[in-house]
Amino acid sequence: MLPWLFSMSFSICEKESRQVFPKRKEILSTPLLTIREASVEDLLLTEPEANRPGKCQVTGVVLGDGSTVCAGSVILTTGTFLRGVILMGLETHPAGRLGDQPAVGLAQTLEKLGFTVGRLKTGTPPRLAKDTINFSGLEERVPDNPPVPFSFLSKAVWIKPEDQLSCYLTHTNLKAQQIVLDNLHLNDHVRETTKGPRYCPSFESKVLRFPNREHQVWLEPEGLESDVIYPQGLSMTLPPELQEQVIRSIPGLEKAKILQPGYGVQYDFLDPRQLTASLESRLVQRLFFAGQINGTTGYEEAAAQGIIAGINACLLVQGKPPFIVSRTEGYVGVLIDDLTTLGTTEPYRMFTSRVEFRMSLRPDNADARLTHRGFEEAGCVSQQRYEQAVQMRAALEDGIATLKSIQFSVSKWSHLVREVPISSNRRSPLSAFDVLRYPEANMEILARAIPEPLRKLAEWRELSERLKIEAAYEWCVVNQQQEIEEVRRDEALRLPEDIDYFAIDASLSAEVREKLNSSRPQTIGAVSRIPGVTPAAIINLLRFVKAEKLKAFPQTGKYLSGKMYSEKATSQTPISAEISEEELGSTFVKTPL
Amino acid sequence: MALRRIRDPHTAELLDRGLVVWFPGPQSFTGEDCMELHVHGGPAVVSGVLRALGRLSGLRPAEPGEFTRRAFHRGKLDLTAAEGLRDLIHAETEAQRQQALRQMEGELGRLYQQWGETLTQALAHIEAYIDFSEDDNVEEEVLSQVDAAVQTLEQEIAAHLQDGRRGELLRSGVRAVIAGPPNVGKSSLLNLLCQRPAAIVSPVAGTTRDVVEVSLNVSGYPVVLSGTAGLRDATDPIEQEGVSRARDRLQHADLVLAVLDATTVPTEPAELGAALGSLVPPTTPCILVLNKADLLRGHTGVLCDASTHRPPLPPTTLLSCKTGEGTDSLLQLLGQQLAKLCGDPLAGSPSLTQSRHSTQLGGCMAALALYRQQQDVGMAAEQLRLARRHLGRITGHVGAEDILDVIFRDFCIGK
Repeated sequence: MLPWLFSMSFSICEKESRQVFPKRKEILSTPLLTIREASVEDLLLTEPEANRPGKCQVTGVVLGDGSTVCAGSVILTTGTFLRGVILMGLETHPAGRLGDQPAVGLAQTLEKLGFTVGRLKTGTPPRLAKDTINFSGLEERVPDNPPVPFSFLSKAVWIKPEDQLSCYLTHTNLKAQQIVLDNLHLNDHVRETTKGPRYCPSFESKVLRFPNREHQVWLEPEGLESDVIYPQGLSMTLPPELQEQVIRSIPGLEKAKILQPGYGVQYDFLDPRQLTASLESRLVQRLFFAGQINGTTGYEEAAAQGIIAGINACLLVQGKPPFIVSRTEGYVGVLIDDLTTLGTTEPYRMFTSRVEFRMSLRPDNADARLTHRGFEEAGCVSQQRYEQAVQMRAALEDGIATLKSIQFSVSKWSHLVREVPISSNRRSPLSAFDVLRYPEANMEILARAIPEPLRKLAEWRELSERLKIEAAYEWCVVNQQQEIEEVRRDEALRLPEDIDYFAIDASLSAEVREKLNSSRPQTIGAVSRIPGVTPAAIINLLRFVKAEKLKAFPQTGKYLSGKMYSEKATSQTPISAEISEEELGSTFVKTPL
Repeated sequence: MALRRIRDPHTAELLDRGLVVWFPGPQSFTGEDCMELHVHGGPAVVSGVLRALGRLSGLRPAEPGEFTRRAFHRGKLDLTAAEGLRDLIHAETEAQRQQALRQMEGELGRLYQQWGETLTQALAHIEAYIDFSEDDNVEEEVLSQVDAAVQTLEQEIAAHLQDGRRGELLRSGVRAVIAGPPNVGKSSLLNLLCQRPAAIVSPVAGTTRDVVEVSLNVSGYPVVLSGTAGLRDATDPIEQEGVSRARDRLQHADLVLAVLDATTVPTEPAELGAALGSLVPPTTPCILVLNKADLLRGHTGVLCDASTHRPPLPPTTLLSCKTGEGTDSLLQLLGQQLAKLCGDPLAGSPSLTQSRHSTQLGGCMAALALYRQQQDVGMAAEQLRLARRHLGRITGHVGAEDILDVIFRDFCIGK
């Protein structure tokens, strides 16, 4: 089996991102946005609103100089600053980031309010001076050409492909390992009791868990104009002199100069199960949390939460219902559902393996999944972006319908498209869409064989690519459709927010009651994802589901993969004969995996 | 509603003549179209029908409580009013859960566990490749290792399914244990029931040191019959071990054949009760077998008083392993007990579970076969997920966290 991902990478690589962000100018010139820099020491609180859970309500923040800022809603994105402590070797000092004060007052306020606080640790590598590194002899990773833009609105990335910077690969060896092992006594961070992640957060932990190996180090430029190299894979908490020794032992870095040493950070985070799916706190009304404060790690994870928290903070002030992305609609839905239902004990990173519907939640169809809702419900999508999404959706529907309507016998297809090895076992007739599914097929080949009406479709490059992807993954998506609907149906069953799980008259064990109380699931769907909750318990909880169960999520499902194109080209069409229908038909059950 | 012949769709074999009832939705329990097959309750028939159903496309065994949930979703069931339903659901799913748990003990359970782990690891490795191949040095050879593991697994499951109904591995019948003091004829009884000498018989007390286990078919019910060491305070360490194993078996038995020597059995109710109590755990069903009846001369009075015993005696029979006298009576009693044990639908008979297992294994195999056909690694991973999910209905599901555990254990993924 060839390792081959059809024209899509599950995670469009974000190595470029550090070069491009932050776009300071753009932020500063956004209308209705005021930026003020100060330390936030405390929250302004008042009596809660009656009809919602929460012991109080936030009305603003108190700054370091004593002044206040009033607000209709507040979002906290404290990163690693809550009682942040930096560790380098055996030295520790309070800091959120090297050179920045930690937030202690705020941490105390939150704890006093009753938030469940946990502690996490992470680390960062030393920064190196680019011109002291010898890149010759190191393997070069050349950037994509043409580079794929993140945004659907961009036809191309702003930078010329040839102006992009490469990354370089080198490896550590046994010399580096020895330095670490000889100096473990000088390295508190690695041995501490604070819960470390399952992945290797530092070079030291790699050496300890996977000894006697070379470990990869990616040398990444921090910016187009920057002189700084970020050695990914080399987070370290050794004392600076020893870090230097480790660096110097690595090929290419023999003469490298450390601009800033690596260090470990320990910080508070708040149990995200005390949040609703809109990222609003259940304890303090109108207070939202996003980012590492919820126990995540990574830029994308933080940004995704920020967007959702921002949208919902606004909608709350506008008196509109919250904008909630289901785990059947997008990765951000999986992220938030995992955090708010299951919590986390290590810095949460998103992986495709967490997402059971990833075959439907792809980068290519993000506009179909989220843009429409973003425009109509969240108000965060521009007219231009929305119109483009609508146009593409219509084009895809038409394109697929057209392709499905072109039907020939297997033998005719074999003549028309000789490049595609269609097995003679296939049952005739075959549609053009069926043929497109083959790895060797694409819109160009099809258009050459049947110029009328396919040539026009093939000329639109983006549409052609998307048609190809839709064909390739169609059967996966259709298979998952039933499962997706079951999950959605369970998500439509909302549990009241104020259930006392210890008191309700239901056949539930003490252990299950405890789990339900910690997690406070908002829907039956969320309940079913809590480990250890039995099917009987779920049925028992159905009794408490609110009467409005059938009215929830009126819009969900309209725009989604599989359903999306069903008006013209039914997605209920039997799956092509190469895959045994019989087998596929009998496999659906919802499970956490 | 109609009386119909029920046939296997693939072989046209006649499975039963039974009542077929069709409930077009929404006039059904769940509100969907529903069909009920009322068959004659023998386990062989039920098993046959379930297997046939399992092979039909578009059908799968219901999850615990699933019918009730569907009824609820369609507004057919107002759970606030159905108080008794709560307990029923609990009993049903608890019994199923316990039955499933019991199935997982022993060799069969270990086999399924091992398959589950192999498949979890294969899935984790392919996920590692998808998520981490670029940055974290998860090599392509990982994929060929996954291919190899999947191929081996496919072969093992196929062999097991073939072997299925007769194989020594399917030890999931009713667990019947022959117990009693030494030298009363337990091993003789075992041999009699098996009609082949599975156990060593000798006149010396303390002969059987180990547990001898045989799979049998009694009146259509699958039975795993264990012959044990005579229960006494042994001095010999090997015999002590044998006695300890015997007691262990008794703890987990579904049915005990308590064997006493008819010539020396106490006739005082209290003594007899005590003798039985020392053998049989209090809530376990039991048949009392009074062996060596051929040696009885005029002691037949003991049975006549059975009904007046306080507490009442369990079903009792006289038997002579030597002459075969009383065998029919014993088999009849045995059949009755088995019918009671296996016939209870809530308890979930072993054959029901077996059918479920076959269906899930079949689904797993189908997904593994499709895995081989995929060129796109994402779609291949999807098939492995489906395969794992099928297996999960037997062994327990794994979630994303379990997969991640394996990924981080086997690969150095870092920052």
